[in-house]
Amino acid sequence: MKVLVIEDDMETAAYIARGLREHGHVVDHVADGQDGLVMAAGGTYDVLVVDRMLPGLDGLGLVRTLRGAGVKAPVLFLTALRGVGDRVQGLEAGGDDYMVKPFAFAELLARLNALARRPPLSDVPIMLRVADLELDLLKRTVTRGGERVELQPREFRLLEFLARHANRVVTRTMLLEGVWDFHFDPRTNIVETHISRLRGKISRGGRDPELIHTVRGAGYALRAPAP
Amino acid sequence: MPRLLRTASFRLAALYVVVFAVSALMLGAAVFLAARSALERQMTTRIETEVTFLREEFRRGGLDRLLATVRTRGRGASALDYLLVDRDGRRLAGEIPISASPRPGWTIVEVPEASEDNGRRERVRALASDLGGGVMLVVGDDLGRVAEVEEAVATAFLWTVGLAALLGIGGGVLVSRTFLARVDAIARTAEAIIEGDLARRVPLRGTNDDLDRLAGTLNHMLDRMGALMESLRQVSSDVAHDLRTPLSRLCQRLEDARTHARSVGDYEIAVDGALREAEGLLDTFAALLRIAQVEGASPRAGFRDVDLSAVAEAVADAYRPDVEEAGHSLDVQVVPGVVVRGDQELLTQAIANLVENALRHTPAGTRIGIRLSRDPGTAACLAVEDDGPGVKPEDLPRLADRFYRSERSRTTPGNGLGLSLVAAVAELHGACLLLEDAGPGLRAGLVFRADPDA
Repeated sequence: MKVLVIEDDMETAAYIARGLREHGHVVDHVADGQDGLVMAAGGTYDVLVVDRMLPGLDGLGLVRTLRGAGVKAPVLFLTALRGVGDRVQGLEAGGDDYMVKPFAFAELLARLNALARRPPLSDVPIMLRVADLELDLLKRTVTRGGERVELQPREFRLLEFLARHANRVVTRTMLLEGVWDFHFDPRTNIVETHISRLRGKISRGGRDPELIHTVRGAGYALRAPAP
Repeated sequence: MPRLLRTASFRLAALYVVVFAVSALMLGAAVFLAARSALERQMTTRIETEVTFLREEFRRGGLDRLLATVRTRGRGASALDYLLVDRDGRRLAGEIPISASPRPGWTIVEVPEASEDNGRRERVRALASDLGGGVMLVVGDDLGRVAEVEEAVATAFLWTVGLAALLGIGGGVLVSRTFLARVDAIARTAEAIIEGDLARRVPLRGTNDDLDRLAGTLNHMLDRMGALMESLRQVSSDVAHDLRTPLSRLCQRLEDARTHARSVGDYEIAVDGALREAEGLLDTFAALLRIAQVEGASPRAGFRDVDLSAVAEAVADAYRPDVEEAGHSLDVQVVPGVVVRGDQELLTQAIANLVENALRHTPAGTRIGIRLSRDPGTAACLAVEDDGPGVKPEDLPRLADRFYRSERSRTTPGNGLGLSLVAAVAELHGACLLLEDAGPGLRAGLVFRADPDA
């Protein structure tokens, strides 16, 4: 994956770039809004990481200009701002995701992966499959090995979110935002509890192999068990 | 004095004086002209009547009777002036000084000074008529009488205008001086505040006039700013106070690792511990910032209609497994379709904080209730209650203070900021923070007013 990091804080930029390169990605870095705009408009990047406060041209203006010029590469905003409405402002300017500093690298990586491989909106699937687990998105039903699994509506949404990001790491924060619309960090482990209940249901009390895997220090991934 | 002349009230008073003077002068001119024309008409009628009467006398008794009548009538202060001339131009009676024989019709005769007692020139308006037989009769009246009335009218109006100007300017000076004194009082207050005396307020007179109301509004603004300053000061001192402990703990851990760690494993344990400590610090900072942002946000900017029932159900839904896992029970009684104007994200977090508090500060087996009701008089009442050990009544008012943790909850995890955020969210929404004894247990929640715009 080819990533452009537009960030004026050298240490943060180096931290992101080092981490991404370690995971085999190509990273370009610019520290200025104007240069960032030129690079982003000219290059073919899979995803952009844009700081909101930049010298030259601020992040919001940069993304608005890019979207105006027809650049469709997904954008993840980084910001120290966590004001009421800041997130909405970022998304309305054309950003696709939003992260508040300080952040864990695992979180950033998971979100970039989710963004870069987000399928185009046109081919919305009606059926999601992971190993012998099937989700019917229209009927809102789940089967495991052909047998019906009864889920609560919220549990279905949790499983659906995992299935849409199958084989990729999904962090706790991504789940809180995507499933519960919680844009804050609860001080209790509600995600863990929900996941553990869901696990119990889709492995049918442990009779079937585990599909929801815990990725230490990062989050969860829904994938077929290793053979 | 020049400052006084520049005040708005003085300028207004001066403008009024000018407008009044101009209108008084116009009125005076109109009265003057009307009076003159009426007096002149009256004079004409009097002279014409007199001429008709004398003509009749002449016709009845001839020249002798006419002469006698004219001589009698010519006496007295307000008498008319007469002149009777015969065919040869000889003066028979009267004293109007006309040299040549007069022609019939109206004339104005200038009387030389000498012929008058007061030595003033006199003008006589006279009507000459031929009585037949060569006898000419001239009857006239003193125009000075008209002039006297004219003069009286003009004088009266000039006095009025002069007095009005004097009163207007005097009043303007007085009013402006009062006005200036009050403006100076406001300015002095502002200067005192600039100098650092933040408690100063503009003195009110209790008259409820416009300046008083302005002063009231200014005081209100100063109160609000004072409260914000106070909250800012509070935050800084809280931060200084309550973040020192974890920071020094972090330092101690790192120093300990540097002096005592012998293996990579020791270092890893130390680094993990330091990371946890730092994460806790960042959490606390984030919570503080969030509270500050909510407190500083402008109310109703970006507010939308929020389905509070749906939010309450979603939070209940999210926490139910956790609550049950902890051995508590969750009881949800939510009236559907309760909508308030607000920020959905903040309201969600506020309810979540209340549920987390109930979960964290009560022993297993406690029943946690989420209640949303709509009462007459309030738009909505959202409360989270438990039947746990509750809070001592004397601790209730301090629960929402930043970093406040009751003695009993010091050992449980948390930073003492949860309820502070709920309080800030309540304030932003114009709602009341509800904290009361649920007998047993605690009831905490938000009471929305029926119409936040009213």
